[in-house]
Amino acid sequence: MRLIVSNIIAIFRKELQSYFASPLAYLVAAVFWLISGFFFVSILLGPDGIIQQVAQKEQMGVPSPPVDVAYRLLQFFLGVMGALVLFLLPILSMGLYAEERKRGTLELLATSPVTNWAVALGKLLGVVVFFTAMVIPLLIYEAIALSAANPPIDPGVPLLAHAGLILLAAAILSLGMFVSSLTDSSILAAILTFALVLFLWVTDLIASRVGGPLGEALAHLSLLSSYNNLVQGVLDTSSLVLFASYIFLGLFLTAQSIDSLRFTRR
Amino acid sequence: MIEVERLNKVFGSTPVIQDVAFTVEAGEILGFLGPNGAGKTTTMRILAGYLPATSGTARIAGYDVHEDSLAVRHRIGYLPENPPLYLDMTVEGFLYFVARLKGVAAGSLAEKVTSAIKRCNLTEKRKVLIRKLSKGYRQRVSIAQAIVHDPPAIILDEPTIGLDPRQIIEVRNLIKSLAGEHTIILSTHILPEVSMTCDRVAIISSGKVVATNTPENLRAQLESTSGYEMEVEGNPRKAQSMLENLRGVSSVEISPNGTQSGERAFIRIIPVPGAEPGHELAATLIDAGLGLYEMRRTRPTLEDVFLELTTTESAVTGEKQAMEE
Repeated sequence: MRLIVSNIIAIFRKELQSYFASPLAYLVAAVFWLISGFFFVSILLGPDGIIQQVAQKEQMGVPSPPVDVAYRLLQFFLGVMGALVLFLLPILSMGLYAEERKRGTLELLATSPVTNWAVALGKLLGVVVFFTAMVIPLLIYEAIALSAANPPIDPGVPLLAHAGLILLAAAILSLGMFVSSLTDSSILAAILTFALVLFLWVTDLIASRVGGPLGEALAHLSLLSSYNNLVQGVLDTSSLVLFASYIFLGLFLTAQSIDSLRFTRR
Repeated sequence: MIEVERLNKVFGSTPVIQDVAFTVEAGEILGFLGPNGAGKTTTMRILAGYLPATSGTARIAGYDVHEDSLAVRHRIGYLPENPPLYLDMTVEGFLYFVARLKGVAAGSLAEKVTSAIKRCNLTEKRKVLIRKLSKGYRQRVSIAQAIVHDPPAIILDEPTIGLDPRQIIEVRNLIKSLAGEHTIILSTHILPEVSMTCDRVAIISSGKVVATNTPENLRAQLESTSGYEMEVEGNPRKAQSMLENLRGVSSVEISPNGTQSGERAFIRIIPVPGAEPGHELAATLIDAGLGLYEMRRTRPTLEDVFLELTTTESAVTGEKQAMEE
């Protein structure tokens, strides 16, 4: 058991190091920070931003229920972030196994005393931690903005929302890792992952069209609705279970696909 | 230490190796010799637990490579055909990673990595990114990767490929220095490598082991086919029957076949084993009025052994196929 843990840590460290050494990962992070910063500023202060809207309504004297700017900001912003990671995460996960397959290093991993599970888990942890590092700067400027809120907001809400973002990312990355294990082309892996995640993102739209028990089942698979629950500050067990299931499914399928690779490959 | 019994591997419907069997004693170096595509890499991969065999068993240190895969993987170092390197890591970082992966205890990590780096002459490159290394250095890093955890059994698939002659000698010396404490099986298609480094050779051809022996014995086995080769001027047909009747001569071969007088021809003599008909041969040729330009002993090299073993095999199977048709 101790050995398995140290194996997982070895893989995790290697994976994390390779992200911090990869220009592509920095590019993804830079795009992520740039776009998120842009949206944050425009949602908060832009001409159609929340503060402007509230000010306009007050000027025109429209009677409206008071708006909680801080919560609205969080919801809007994290909603946008959820959509943004949809595009960026497949780029982070595309190389997880495809590169190992292409470089032949999978042969090293497969002939080392490590189980496929440990490799997959270590890799997933590595990329999730890298993504978490990408999220941290967001927390800093959000904290600065939200500290001006009156009345002060409950810190649990933004923390839960960001935990939701990271869980969402972990689910997407886990599935992306599985897709990556199917091919030795990184680009193909990225495209397939994007298609798969996009499908899971909009299943509740599809579900409402389908209707009936099938539609209901589909609606439960939606990443978006589960994510929105967490962003709104609702600690919903079914959402957590859904994300955990996706993560587990990705790990399981990855381990299986690497195992079967040894039986089919020349 | 390594026991292989009736190993078969079928890809689709093509058998890649058939009934491969050999054993390697502890501390021994076995050379696995064969032309490209003979099934060397497949056998190595099965031994390393990367591919499952279709049938048959392979055991390393008493553990079945398929049933007790993890136990086997703890006890082997494996150099695959393509160097398994992470280009974005430094030599040292990579070796630390591999050592951790192979379950080296944290306390002896530094010591083992340093010793592997020293053994493979990588000391001055240890902080360099693998991406920046030449092919020869990369190959050395991959060898270091296979020995870093001090495994009892080492499987090397074409260890000297892509190296320059000086590096090849270094790697061969390295491999020799590993024998004794480690059991080594190395595959190659380069013959001198086998005679220089290996205690025993298994020759594989079209997926079958056609001979297992020491390099010396294999050569001795063909010693009987050593003979004489002579370059003569004149019509060698005149001398043919005289040569054939000499004591100690088993067969005479003349090429080119229909030689005009005034042209040069080659005569090949295979003597009866043990006979040395050298001076009678020369006397006979001169008596027959032929001009003798060159006469030499032909000794079989390991190449001949190899070619004979691998080509007879294909000739036999070719005949079989012809008969079946």
